[in-house]
Amino acid sequence: MDIEDPSFWRAGAISTTLVMLVVLAFLSIDSMRVISVGGANVPQYDVINHQIGYTYNWSRRADVPVIGGPEPLFGKTVTAAEATALMRTGKLVIQSRACMDCHTIFGNGAYYGPDLTKSWLDPAWQQIWMPMTGKATREDAMVEFLMHPDKYPTWTRAMPNLQLTQDEARATVAYLKWLSSVDTNGFPANFGQSGKQP
Amino acid sequence: MTASALIETAALLGLFVLAGGGYGSLYSVGRLWARPALIRAGSVCWIAAFALALTIALRTPLDIGWKLLILASALVYAVIPPLIWRYLERLHHEQEIRR
Amino acid sequence: MYRSQKLSLRYYTAAVALFGVMIVFGLLSALYYLYPSLLFNVFNFNMSKILHIDTLVIWLLMGFLGAVYWYLPKELGREVEGMWLAELMFWVFCAAVVVVAAVFVFVQYGAANEFSMWFINQGRKYVEAPRWAAIGIVVVMLVFAYNVIATCIKARKMTGIMWVLVLDLIPLLAVYLDAFPAVTNMSVDLYWWWWLVHMWVESTWEVLIGCVMALVLMDVMGTSRRIVETWLYIEVMLVLGAGILGLGHHYFWIGTPQYWLSIGGFFSALEPLPLLGMVVHAIYDAGTHRMKTNNQPAFWWITAEAFGNFIGAGIWGFMMTLPQINLFSHGTQWTVSHGHFAFYGAYVCGVIAVLYVAKQQVSGADVLGGRAWKWGFGLLNFGMVGMVMGLLLAGMAQAFYGRAMGGSTLMAFTTASENPWFVSGMYARMLFGVVFAAGYVVLVYDLLTSPRRVPALQAQPEPA
Ligand code: HEM
Ligand code: HEM
Ligand SMILES: [Fe+2]
Repeated sequence: MDIEDPSFWRAGAISTTLVMLVVLAFLSIDSMRVISVGGANVPQYDVINHQIGYTYNWSRRADVPVIGGPEPLFGKTVTAAEATALMRTGKLVIQSRACMDCHTIFGNGAYYGPDLTKSWLDPAWQQIWMPMTGKATREDAMVEFLMHPDKYPTWTRAMPNLQLTQDEARATVAYLKWLSSVDTNGFPANFGQSGKQP
Repeated sequence: MTASALIETAALLGLFVLAGGGYGSLYSVGRLWARPALIRAGSVCWIAAFALALTIALRTPLDIGWKLLILASALVYAVIPPLIWRYLERLHHEQEIRR
Repeated sequence: MYRSQKLSLRYYTAAVALFGVMIVFGLLSALYYLYPSLLFNVFNFNMSKILHIDTLVIWLLMGFLGAVYWYLPKELGREVEGMWLAELMFWVFCAAVVVVAAVFVFVQYGAANEFSMWFINQGRKYVEAPRWAAIGIVVVMLVFAYNVIATCIKARKMTGIMWVLVLDLIPLLAVYLDAFPAVTNMSVDLYWWWWLVHMWVESTWEVLIGCVMALVLMDVMGTSRRIVETWLYIEVMLVLGAGILGLGHHYFWIGTPQYWLSIGGFFSALEPLPLLGMVVHAIYDAGTHRMKTNNQPAFWWITAEAFGNFIGAGIWGFMMTLPQINLFSHGTQWTVSHGHFAFYGAYVCGVIAVLYVAKQQVSGADVLGGRAWKWGFGLLNFGMVGMVMGLLLAGMAQAFYGRAMGGSTLMAFTTASENPWFVSGMYARMLFGVVFAAGYVVLVYDLLTSPRRVPALQAQPEPA
């Protein structure tokens, strides 16, 4: 073993890299199992037929989503296939309008607008937008807002109108509801618990 | 973690690496110009880094695993600059001989 | 001069021009934070940010391509194979960039369908360019890889640096394929997206710039190949040893299993260590630098690269990489602070150093010095440090008020964004952004005019 010999370090570089790549491959296979739809952390798309909550779990030492009883979106229970179609459109809305170049989802994206991970659960829908839009339900207020965000500003930074059709807006709301059911290891922490810290 | 503990801990973590970097730089420049005073200043930086690691271990709400990792890396920071410096010297010296 | 080096100069020119475009859109993006009604519903923040970060990726890639096309014939002692294709690809690349930019400015976005993905905007950060353009980039990179490999084969010569470079191009290209899919499941989407973003900036680009720096050191300082290659292998071992699984620091909160909290935290805590090694190495080399006297700008930019990489990636990264901190700092201006500092330190400084090396060789000047480069160096560094300090302040205010105290809701977000610390941070960023832009202007001025008294300058090939 001659540490001045480049070939020693070349062997080191190759073997280190290979070991790390193999470990990463195994971890990725396992992670895919967990994050595929229906995996341990990512519910099926038809979870949107249910109530979704987010509460602190003492054994996990983190906030976790809680799936509750039936609470169909727009008052209509959807089949698994319908839910999948909605999600596909919803995701394409998010990509085609470049939502994540203003907002974050799971904390990834841009920081001009608020994080959307738990947007479905945001008290602002009830407190601000339902009265503002005159809609009776959270999801209807969301659709109205997404279609005409420039009409309902809450502060100086308003959201621009991205010309969502009604179908696109409904699919986006469905997507946001599903997103809030993903187990994100407690991100964001203390959601809606202003002032209370564990 | 409380809001103030968050900022304090992050600041300590940043200062810790900064002190490690200060040690590495001062040590190397000291060797380059053969200035023992700079090398001593470098050691002071490392002591600061170690003190910061201790502060992190004793005074922040980080989990025990992270605290141990930071204490261990303080020791690794101590050896990296001299080790690399000596290695580079050996490498270049051997090269001179070969020529 | 080899034909490939002429191409290299074109890439450098395009890179510097796009650097300017990037700064313009950086300043514009920053302005929205101060004047939110700016261009509202006409040209919104998201389009400005897209143009800022996409040009960033493109100009750095062009800088790297330029550097490799510059050194390839020198390293292998012969003209690069397939030059006509490479030259064609340069124009394809530029044309694609112009068309995509025009679509982003004038069309901006489309409906929620595959057509938009193919022709308008894919809306995935850093790789928003529509698929046809992404295919274009793949083709450019494939031709580039062909140039490198075919030249090695024709020259019947394979140096250690070339091996590292060629092997590095494989994952660099492979992860870029991730610019195409539109996966419905956001967790899976982000999982692979991070392979692209993290594996580029903390693995493959790090190795690429390592190769380029190795070539520069040999070329300009006459360091022996054996030393340079030994060091390169060590660097690759440490960078990839920590960086590959350091990927885990992006897998804390996207739905991925809990073990990533430990793995990501552990390996990214190791990431500053190789960067410290590079600082020591840079100082050691400084002692033997001929460049210190005959190409001061390149010398200082290389030094800035070593320190900038350590501070921007090492310190700024480590500060918020442990999951307990990251839970609150994640996705705030704190991230932006680190992103700017790390990209600047690790890559921008390196590319500028290479520009000065090429500058000296093209102009035939014995000494590159003067006063202008110092102003450029000073203003750019001062501007960047000021910006990241402002951003850090703003990010800490967001983590403190918006996240830890406010609980991350819309109300918490707006409250934090109106907090005086946040607002001052945004003003500071704008101010220092202007300083940075001034530094860019001086840099370009210096690159175009120095060295003043050498007539060979006029012979410098213009990008036709
Ligand atoms: C005048 C100089 C610059 C200004 C004013 C500026 C401003 C900005 C702004 C406003 C954003 C959007 C952040 C957000 O979503 O809130 C941004 C993002 C970004 N900029 Fe710059 N920028 C400048 C120069 C640079 C330079 C030189 C680099 C690279 C070295 C850079 C790299 C980036 C990156 C990587 C992002 C994405 C960060 C993230 O989203 O986490 N910028 N910049
Ligand atoms: C050359 C080296 C590096 C570059 C260019 C770089 C660049 C970036 C950029 C641009 C981002 C923002 C990504 C996004 O959300 O769009 C980021 C995020 C991050 N980086 Fe780095 N980085 C480097 C090295 C490091 C190192 C060494 C560490 C750890 C010690 C680190 C830790 C992180 C973490 C934890 C995040 C996530 C921030 C968040 O939670 O929002 N980075 N990096
Ligand atoms: Fe990373």
